[in-house]
Amino acid sequence: MRSNAKLRRSSRRIEHALRWVLALAALACLGGCATQTVQPWQRGRLARWDMRWDPDPLQAAMNQHAYFSKEGTSGEIGAAGGGCGCN
Amino acid sequence: MSLRIALAVALVAAASMGFAVEPGAAAPDFRLMPFAGTKSASLSDYRGKVVLVDFWASWCGPCRQSLPLYNNLQADFPADDFAIVAIGLDEDTADALAFLREHPIKYTALQNPKGDVAQAFGLKGMPSSYLIDRNGVVRYRHIGFEPRDIDALKREIAALIATH
Repeated sequence: MRSNAKLRRSSRRIEHALRWVLALAALACLGGCATQTVQPWQRGRLARWDMRWDPDPLQAAMNQHAYFSKEGTSGEIGAAGGGCGCN
Repeated sequence: MSLRIALAVALVAAASMGFAVEPGAAAPDFRLMPFAGTKSASLSDYRGKVVLVDFWASWCGPCRQSLPLYNNLQADFPADDFAIVAIGLDEDTADALAFLREHPIKYTALQNPKGDVAQAFGLKGMPSSYLIDRNGVVRYRHIGFEPRDIDALKREIAALIATH
């Protein structure tokens, strides 16, 4: 009976240690992301037009216009408009 | 234990810190294939000349100005004294070839899709150029490009040609 309790205690200790190891390993992995920066000569893919936030500048300008025409009265984007879409 | 952790942190920091070739240091040698032709070229082939090593890519905006302007630069100095070596860093060589068709150049263009030469020089930005003296030592480094930079380059090249 007593040896059984001892066994249980030691297995709990191992479990505890393993949990720490796992947490530390996860932390180390997080730090790994910070060391992998994109170098200046590796920006080819990032420079592609389809990687842009707004791939089509004209479409973006039109969307912006419709947006501030609709939301202008609530002062959404800087100067307020009447909401008529005529500015 | 804490010493070991500190050591590990220092190691990771050292690995992530960029090494860069500064003026005054020897230029790292390289051997690369050209975009046109089958004969590889290395920096040591140019020993005895002042060399402008320029790193460019098809996606680099200022390179559209710098590469054509370097044509005149090459014409301004004797070929025995001065050479330009333009290293293209496009991962896809087809992109670089299309760029060169659009902007024809009269000097040597080498390809380095892996970017290991850029790594060896420790590029801080695109484009970057290194002016190397007759003994293979980097004398000037330029990061970025504006058309008026050509005048400074001309002065530096003339001075380097004259000193040795």
